[in-house]
Amino acid sequence: MQTSNDVVIETRNLTKVYRDFWGRVKVRALKALDFEVKKGEIFGLLGPNGSGKTTTIKLLLGLLFPTSGQSLVFGRDATDVAKNERLGYLPEESYLYRFLNAEETLDFYGRLFDMPRAVRRQRTFELIEMVGLDWARRRQLKEYSKGMVRRIGLAQALINDPELILLDEPTTGLDPIGTREMKDLILKLRDEGKTVLMCSHLLADVQDVCDRIAILYQGELKELGRVEDLLKMRDLTEIRASGLNEQARQEITEVIERHQGKLNSMGHPTTTLEELFLKIIRESETHPGRRVRGTKES
Amino acid sequence: MIREIETLSFFEWLPDGLVGWLFILLCVLIVGVVIGWLVAALRHGPITALRMVGRTLWTGVIDLAGTSPRRVLALSWLAVKESIRRRVLVAFGVFILILLFAGWFLDPASAHPGRLYLNFVLTATSYLVLLLALFLSAMSLPADFKNKTLHTVVTKPVRPGEIVLGRVFGFTAVGSVLLVVMGVVSYVFVIRGLSHTHQVSEADFEKGRTDRVQAHRHEISVDASGTARVEMAHGHWHDLTVEQSADKTVYRLGAPRGRPVARVPIYGTYLRFRDPQGKETEKGVNVGDEWMYRSFIRGGSLAAAVWTFEGITEENFPRDQFANGLPLEMTLEVFRTYKGKTDDPEQIPGVVGSLALGTTTDEIVRLEAEVKRVRRKRDRYGGTDPDKIKNLPEPDTLERARYQREVDRIRARLEELRAELPEPIDVKIFKAKDFATDVQYIPLQCDAKDGRKLDLFKDLAPNGRLEVWLRCLEPMQYYGVAQSDVYFRAKDASFAVNLAKGYVGIWLQMIVVIGIGVMFSTFLSGPIGILATVGAVIPKLFCPQLLAELATGQAVGGGPLESLYRLVTQENMVTELQPGLKTTVIEMLDDHVFVHGMRVAVAVLPEFGRFHFADYVAYGFDISGNLVLQCVLQTLAFMVPVFVAGYFFLKMREVAR
Repeated sequence: MQTSNDVVIETRNLTKVYRDFWGRVKVRALKALDFEVKKGEIFGLLGPNGSGKTTTIKLLLGLLFPTSGQSLVFGRDATDVAKNERLGYLPEESYLYRFLNAEETLDFYGRLFDMPRAVRRQRTFELIEMVGLDWARRRQLKEYSKGMVRRIGLAQALINDPELILLDEPTTGLDPIGTREMKDLILKLRDEGKTVLMCSHLLADVQDVCDRIAILYQGELKELGRVEDLLKMRDLTEIRASGLNEQARQEITEVIERHQGKLNSMGHPTTTLEELFLKIIRESETHPGRRVRGTKES
Repeated sequence: MIREIETLSFFEWLPDGLVGWLFILLCVLIVGVVIGWLVAALRHGPITALRMVGRTLWTGVIDLAGTSPRRVLALSWLAVKESIRRRVLVAFGVFILILLFAGWFLDPASAHPGRLYLNFVLTATSYLVLLLALFLSAMSLPADFKNKTLHTVVTKPVRPGEIVLGRVFGFTAVGSVLLVVMGVVSYVFVIRGLSHTHQVSEADFEKGRTDRVQAHRHEISVDASGTARVEMAHGHWHDLTVEQSADKTVYRLGAPRGRPVARVPIYGTYLRFRDPQGKETEKGVNVGDEWMYRSFIRGGSLAAAVWTFEGITEENFPRDQFANGLPLEMTLEVFRTYKGKTDDPEQIPGVVGSLALGTTTDEIVRLEAEVKRVRRKRDRYGGTDPDKIKNLPEPDTLERARYQREVDRIRARLEELRAELPEPIDVKIFKAKDFATDVQYIPLQCDAKDGRKLDLFKDLAPNGRLEVWLRCLEPMQYYGVAQSDVYFRAKDASFAVNLAKGYVGIWLQMIVVIGIGVMFSTFLSGPIGILATVGAVIPKLFCPQLLAELATGQAVGGGPLESLYRLVTQENMVTELQPGLKTTVIEMLDDHVFVHGMRVAVAVLPEFGRFHFADYVAYGFDISGNLVLQCVLQTLAFMVPVFVAGYFFLKMREVAR
């Protein structure tokens, strides 16, 4: 199966059905999901609880097996262990060994990447400093606050300097400063050429950092595209002008010129991601199974 | 000491063991592939299932090749840290507590205090360490699944096999350290518990005895040169030093010597019997015991038990060290048809018997080894028990008959060769008592019937091979013997090393438990994993014989299907089923299908009881390096399928359910 070199993640008709012990269908968590994540972009998965975001990430990591369809990471099947060499994963609730301290944690995960001792020490030192836990490097994780655990969780996800980072609710448990730092870090990673796939409930975070997003609802893909395109309100025109009084919309340019005004910008206004999200959810509930907008990927 | 199963020499054991192991491995692999295919076929169809199974097997090979020692070590280290966090050291605290209280119950005045102390420490250590291994191994992975900590591990380039190996190595390391510490503490405990001395006053010395300590006293003898010596009692003696001062003589006794001990026995390589008419038989008489370990010879007749020994050489028994003769230790069972005065066991007289020495040839010894080898194969099909032979499935009956013919052929040839040998020479008359280990010294010189002086090494055992003939001389009395009941005691090994070997046995048991526990924990929850592990270990530990009978169709009640039929229809186990089509089908399926399945299933279970070396240490017998090596290899061999199964179970399951 061939994929373009630019495509880091690809799902094809990816479906996941959870069954009970007797094989009866419990939940259809994901229904024929198709999307691609390209190299160097920040891709956001959005959706309410139970929409299939975390299931998608777990399928991409090989933690779950698809019922049908396929998910490819770096062109390899998601169950192929070798792909893990190039990715980092921050789970929803940093599932780390609480009896280890920060240094031991990073050293342990470094060893899982078969990293030599000197490299591990160097990376451990850098990452602990980067996440601001220098002062607590010898404390057991069970003594850490939730935010601190999140930070060390992020550090373990970056221990191998991955090309692809999967972040499940990355800002959960972080204070406003920590949230800002996390977002800055995500942007920095993108600037370094890395690919980021994140899912979050915090729409403002997604809006701030994501290049493209996919919105899921009840396991179905409802929307997919560039953030600025999706938020563009095409049925409205927005004119930003200064030094003007109110005039009719018709022949606005001529009016502005006639009055020696200066046209700063003219275009469609954007809504907030929150408004878009709520609109999609409302429409999905009204018309189940229908794709809300036919926005093409740009 | 009871040795129901003879330890084969390494090169005798290896080929059969290896072939059996490969066969079982192949069977397990085939069963695994078929079940995997069936499960996949139900969900994805037969062709896709075939592709999936093939891909899984291929990935298995790739994963095995990509196994990284560094990752395995990292995961082992994690298992060690986790064990420490789970307060594994509490087990050591419990051990110390048990030892502290043990002094209340262990009686050093008992007949065999060494046996008591050693059995106690080895049993206590064994139970503690095995329980610890069980809980650690079966609970660890399920806890990781539950806490989801495994999510951050399996999303690294970690192979499922590395997770299994890491757990096994880590818990083994923890258990090993605990065992070493417990072993050292046990050694000190035993030595201190058995340590004592006696006081000897001048009056006692005159009476020729020490005072009474730990329910025994020693006699003191003075030889012709005037040197005083403390005689052996309760399996030990003391060094005696005499200090003369101006007004009195002070007698001092040192620490007990001669116990605990680790005898290095030279067992007979072959045991044969002669019936009361002097005819060669495979077994002696059964005096009514259900336990057929010992076979009996009738007194006052031509009946005899004859052992063939190898290694009776001057190198093994230097003349200067064995001037009194070669020590032959015997633990005979005496079956009396009349007892005489029985109100005081001490007064029951011993039953008189005789020992004679015979020569043998290399050809005879070779044929004896051959007949033993064929007998072992034959004995897989019911042994010599007529009841079991009667219950054998038809194909096995035919197989058994084939081996029996081979045995008879070799024995006939042996009789021809033995007829050419001279009659054995009587060297000892002795009295045997029940439940006592008797030592007889076989003289280095003896008289032939024609009056010639014969040298033991040069004339009777020129090739190091010697026959020892045992006869019971009293009519109406019987001697019961087994192959291990009579042996030459060439030397003693270090007790400390023997105790360490005993701990190696516990160590191997621990590894087996850890392996099974980790394997089950890859797909079962903690408590169920514990139950499954116990279920896999217990049968061969406590009822290996029953399992063997079940697997070979010798058990009363028939094979698995017949037993099920009897259960459902509430039919008696011993009555014959009504002849007819139903019975024929049941018996046919049992004989040709289910019995083979049972054999593989039983063979897969670990030989757990074989690693139990406590009796060797407690009864004072050296655990041979050969036995230890065989057990180590058996453990490693067992761990291979356990690892493979653990790998595939973990590989096939969804980590995030």
